[in-house]
Amino acid sequence: MGKWMNKAISPSVVPESEDHILIEDLARLAEGAVDAADRQHLIGHLNRCQRCYQILQQTLTDVSAETTLQPGSAPWWRTGTFYALAASILLVLLIGGPLAIKHWNQRPPGILAVLDLDQGLKDILLEDDALRWEKKERVNRLLTALQQRGLAVKDLSLVLLSKPYYQKKSLFGPKEVLHIRIDNKVAYLEVKEMEN
Amino acid sequence: MIDPEKILSSSDLLVKIETVCHRRFSAENDRDECYVYVIDSLKADNLKRLRAFKGKSSLNTYLYALINSLVIDFRRKQYGRRRIPAGVAKLGKWAETVYRFVCWQRFTFDDAYDFLRIDGLYTGSYIEFIKETEPIRKAPCRKNPAFQSIDEAHESSLKNIDDESSNPLEFLIQKLDRERRIKALKVIRETTAGLSEDDQLLIRLVYGSDQSVPAVAKVIGLAAPTAGKRLKNLMTIYREKLLAEGIREP
Repeated sequence: MGKWMNKAISPSVVPESEDHILIEDLARLAEGAVDAADRQHLIGHLNRCQRCYQILQQTLTDVSAETTLQPGSAPWWRTGTFYALAASILLVLLIGGPLAIKHWNQRPPGILAVLDLDQGLKDILLEDDALRWEKKERVNRLLTALQQRGLAVKDLSLVLLSKPYYQKKSLFGPKEVLHIRIDNKVAYLEVKEMEN
Repeated sequence: MIDPEKILSSSDLLVKIETVCHRRFSAENDRDECYVYVIDSLKADNLKRLRAFKGKSSLNTYLYALINSLVIDFRRKQYGRRRIPAGVAKLGKWAETVYRFVCWQRFTFDDAYDFLRIDGLYTGSYIEFIKETEPIRKAPCRKNPAFQSIDEAHESSLKNIDDESSNPLEFLIQKLDRERRIKALKVIRETTAGLSEDDQLLIRLVYGSDQSVPAVAKVIGLAAPTAGKRLKNLMTIYREKLLAEGIREP
């Protein structure tokens, strides 16, 4: 953990409460198994008692470490997430399948996507401030980056950027995303800021 | 009801104690003493600490909470046995605090200076601090043989953060020079104190203790995405307060 934040915002040490939270109540709190009134009382105490706070945070660390180390209690294909995902895919296929087939038969497919603007993409955008990319090497770098991020794009001949991109310097600056539209091997890019 | 005798003799409990003592102490001797202390404390008064379990939480979490409380007791007893050298004590409370930070908790003198300034225990300049801590540098320190070196590295569990997304406030503070860092930490402390009880604990556990958002969300009684959103809003509050004091990323 970071030493500065730990030092700056730990609960006060003096005066420390004598009347500590019961161990079992701390365990219940760590598991989220307390009602609202109890929770308010316990949280109020934790913000003022270094000892109880330490027990809680160390318990959370230990329980979390044990959960991480343990092999999964059930195979991945028996988890709720898997069933939810499978049901979602089935629904999408049932509802969207016929529409998609109709759409594909009518016109060549285009791609619309929104990607988190990570450092890899930023590096490509920051190479220079040209709005029209025709250099094959740069276009190919973008193509590879898009494929690595799961976009089913096979070829690109031209990239058009809506406006020059400059790196944001603010630490708490808003998250940036890259809007992409690909039609006839031409990629249209636009960087937008996400609201917090 | 679970039999306390069985719990005490179970390998699961012994492994837990060993793991927790190992995590909290770096010296082999301290780890061994910690293990013995926890076992003895669990046995004390006819296993009253194990008998106190009423089944309101899972036994697993209860045992971790119980062991951690005993490890904290052990650490306090250990510190309680130590004495601050008379030559340091006579310099005043600030010097005792420096001694504790550097000698017992293995921070550097630089860290100690900043911590003292944040807590308002020392108001002099850094140069004055270096001069006035000369006697502390010469004091004996069993736990830290490299005590006399000002550049000595501490072995604390507290570390530098090199990933902004994991702790943006810590990441910012690391980049600031000393004076702005101290000012920023005071702003962060005051801002935290002005938050609601839930938000204070959320910030403390996520950014002061590096707990995961889903784990803390459970403690606060929120869904994980809601806690994530609340954290983002809180970051905006911190950012505004820091900006109002003229603190921005260098």
